[in-house]
Order: sequence, then C-alpha cells, then structure tokens
Amino acid sequence: MKTKIAELRKEKKMSQEELALAVGVTRQTITSIEVEKYVASLPLAYKIAHYFNMSIEEVFDFSQIDD
Amino acid sequence: MEQFRKKLKIRISWLSVLSLTTALMGVYYVFFAPETIKNITVFEFQGGASVAICILSSLNIIKYIKILKDDNKLQLKCNKENDERFKIIKSKAGIPIVPVLSVLMIMSGIIAGYFNITVFYTLIIVAMCQILISGIIKLIYIKKM
Repeated sequence: MKTKIAELRKEKKMSQEELALAVGVTRQTITSIEVEKYVASLPLAYKIAHYFNMSIEEVFDFSQIDD
Repeated sequence: MEQFRKKLKIRISWLSVLSLTTALMGVYYVFFAPETIKNITVFEFQGGASVAICILSSLNIIKYIKILKDDNKLQLKCNKENDERFKIIKSKAGIPIVPVLSVLMIMSGIIAGYFNITVFYTLIIVAMCQILISGIIKLIYIKKM
C-alpha cells in the first residue's frame, strides 16, 4: 500500500528512528511500510496519521484496494 | 513503560534462578558425579548444555540490567517486543511454540538417552532441525515483510 510517510517525515525533517520511537514500533517496521512491503494495522495507521495531525486516508492510499 | 520495566525485572529474577541452578549442576558434574557415568555421552551432553544455558542466561541478565539503566534503550526494547510486524513474523515462524517443543524434546531425549542412545540422538537431531527451520522461516519473513 502506498503511503506518504516518507514525504511527511522529510517535511518534518525527522528520521525513521524518531517516528518509530514516537509510534511505538521498530525502525524496520517504518522502513517496510514506506517501501510497501508491509501494510500497517489499523491502530498503527491511526497512530502514524495522528502523529502527523492528519486522517488515515490522507497518509495511506486506499485507492488500489479492491472492493 | 513501568509495566515493561517490571516485566524485565521478573525476567531477570527467573534468569538468575536458571543461571544459579545450571551453575550448581555444572559444579556437580565436574566435582561430585560418580566416575561410572562421567563418560556416558548423554551425561557429557547434559553437562555441556548446562554450562551453555548458564553462560547464556548470565549474558542475558547483564543485557537486561544495562537496558534497565538506560531509558532510551528501554523504550527501544519495549518497542521491539511490542512491534506488530515482529509479532506477525514470530507467529509465522512458530515462536514460542517451536522452541518450547524443542526444549521439551531435548529434555526427554536426555532422559531417554540413559536407556537408549538412538532415541537420544533422534530427539536431539529433530529438536535442532525444528529450531533451524523456525530460524530460517523467521529470516525469510524478515526479508519478505
């Protein structure tokens, strides 16, 4: 799933490690989400979106999900 | 975080008990065990395993004490243990069921080994293979996810 996490991080000038620490996961998990290897769970997606003061839909791209 | 700190402290106490028990077992094997059983393969394996467990648990105790002293390391460890991706990877690799079964297999292998050495070798090899396969699966999923 495509996300805007990398862009948002760069805007805020923060590292993966810092974001990982803030949302309670490891740096590797943030990397995996950014490179679309892993799809974050709903609670984690909420935490990430909440951290950037955005909604989940604004951070994660759901357009490719089938109905 | 305080809950995780308590969890680590409990882990340290259990590891201390394990470390002390295996150290005492090691002392028994070296100084007090009867000469007649000292050359039995199973007995030698048992001694080696005790020493290995003692060293590993002592190293883990040191690691946990260092983590408890540093809040940043504690947070990182807490995140690592509660990380959802790692939890999924672990469940796919059969952790903790596979290691627990392997330990039980090794223990039963040691007991059976005093009566039949073939059973001992079979159970130890199966346990090792189980752990190896679980480790390989874990590595595959770490790369994949």
